[in-house]
Amino acid sequence: MRRLAAEVGVFGRSTYLQYVALFQWASIRGYIAYKVLLPVTQILFFVELGVYASGRQNALYFALGNAMQLTANAGIFGVIATVANERQYGTLPILLASPANRAVTFLSRAFVNVIDGILTVAVGLGIAVVLFGLDLHHANFPLLAFCVVLISLTTAGLGLMFGSIGLVMRDAIIIANVVYYVLLIVCGINFPVSRLPGVIQLVSYSLPLTRGVQAARDAAAGASFGHVAGLMAGELLVGALWALGGYLLFRLLESWARRGGLQEAY
Amino acid sequence: MRSLVRAASSAFSVSVRLRVISPWAYLNWFVFPLLFAAVGLYVLSRPGASGSHLVYGLLGGGLIGYWSVAYIDGGNGIQDERWNGTLEQIFGTPTPLFVIVLGKVCGGLLFGLLAFIPTAALAYFGFNAVFPNLDAWRFVISLGVLTLTFFCIALTLTPLFALWRWAFSMINGFELGVYVLCGFMFPIAVLTPWLQGFAAVLAPTWAVKALYASTLAEGPHDFVAWWLLAGALSLAYMVAAYFLYMLVEREARVSGQLALA
Repeated sequence: MRRLAAEVGVFGRSTYLQYVALFQWASIRGYIAYKVLLPVTQILFFVELGVYASGRQNALYFALGNAMQLTANAGIFGVIATVANERQYGTLPILLASPANRAVTFLSRAFVNVIDGILTVAVGLGIAVVLFGLDLHHANFPLLAFCVVLISLTTAGLGLMFGSIGLVMRDAIIIANVVYYVLLIVCGINFPVSRLPGVIQLVSYSLPLTRGVQAARDAAAGASFGHVAGLMAGELLVGALWALGGYLLFRLLESWARRGGLQEAY
Repeated sequence: MRSLVRAASSAFSVSVRLRVISPWAYLNWFVFPLLFAAVGLYVLSRPGASGSHLVYGLLGGGLIGYWSVAYIDGGNGIQDERWNGTLEQIFGTPTPLFVIVLGKVCGGLLFGLLAFIPTAALAYFGFNAVFPNLDAWRFVISLGVLTLTFFCIALTLTPLFALWRWAFSMINGFELGVYVLCGFMFPIAVLTPWLQGFAAVLAPTWAVKALYASTLAEGPHDFVAWWLLAGALSLAYMVAAYFLYMLVEREARVSGQLALA
């Protein structure tokens, strides 16, 4: 019991410290730029693109898809940046030298980003509803909210995987940029996954977001929990596998970085 | 005059060489526009979509890449020197700052133009997208006018980003908003009237309008008016830039606070 309390303490301190030290946008101007302007303009761009291509009746399809993808803003960019920034600010060797439980410190990288992802979607979706007059009268709101929480967790799982690469790579944030925008193509955000070539569809279903976005669209159309349970279970499983893979890679690269002295090589 | 041209061409040469080895440069001119072009082409090539839609997918990704390089690489011309610790040396030389920045911005624009190659290749080979009614001369002139607008904006943003670091965050956060307002991937006519009002004060909006009109038969073709509007707005940006450069000089030479901004 005492050990569990100690681990919870490590998790809490680690979460708090990475929030106050590594969240570059945590200022009023940074928040407006990256947590308000960016989400709103992303939704605006893709909704207007979709409306131009297919008519205003499809605005909800594009708004909802892009609002859900905003979780990746926190889950991918945020999580990768927290590891990459440790390295850039020179605190990574101290972190790696600490005796703290690796799984606890590793998962704490994602916690604030998950909360941030949920908030980002709420802001983005709220503004999209007002701007485009989206009709959500039939939506199953509790289920839609559950989808947002689930997708925030699963994208953070993917972020942990790529964040681990930041242990040995100087410009890990480049990976964040690529992964973030690849998700726009392969996860059914702006067009159905079925339009992609077969091999890429396999990639789509091995990534978070694909099933989660589909479940969110069903929830917005009024579906019940039972109707989307399979999609949500699949989404959770995919996210957990990416997080587990990320943890294993983190341990592997930690050992490699330590042996090669690569933590400081930037 | 010859010494100024030599200084600008040296700045151009160094900036191009630095970009060749920078992974960020490849992200901006190759990866990023390709990803946007892919999304745009898939959305715009929905079954039953008109051929003119595909033109927006064909050129849109390249325009996005061109803009990204122009405002990020060009706009950070002074900031880069600050981060690299070479700002003081540049101010110590007798060459005006404006000349050095001009060379660097030209280097950025050259890389930005490369963005059209991968996106056009994807559009052609992946989606069979071609220009249905290309008016080659007007296309080239419109691309030249667009380059002028990007050049003027980059020159204006450079001192702005150096004076107020938060300005970069704001414009970076608003990046996709620029795609919307300038009509990079769809015509601004689909926007609500108040958004079209904002779009009208951006010089690239008119140049992009002319660029797309030079590839399509339908719609208005007021090229001269659009080119003149783009040029006039660019000139207005340059007037603002003049005062911003004076401010940078004052901060750097008189108060010595630019490195602390």
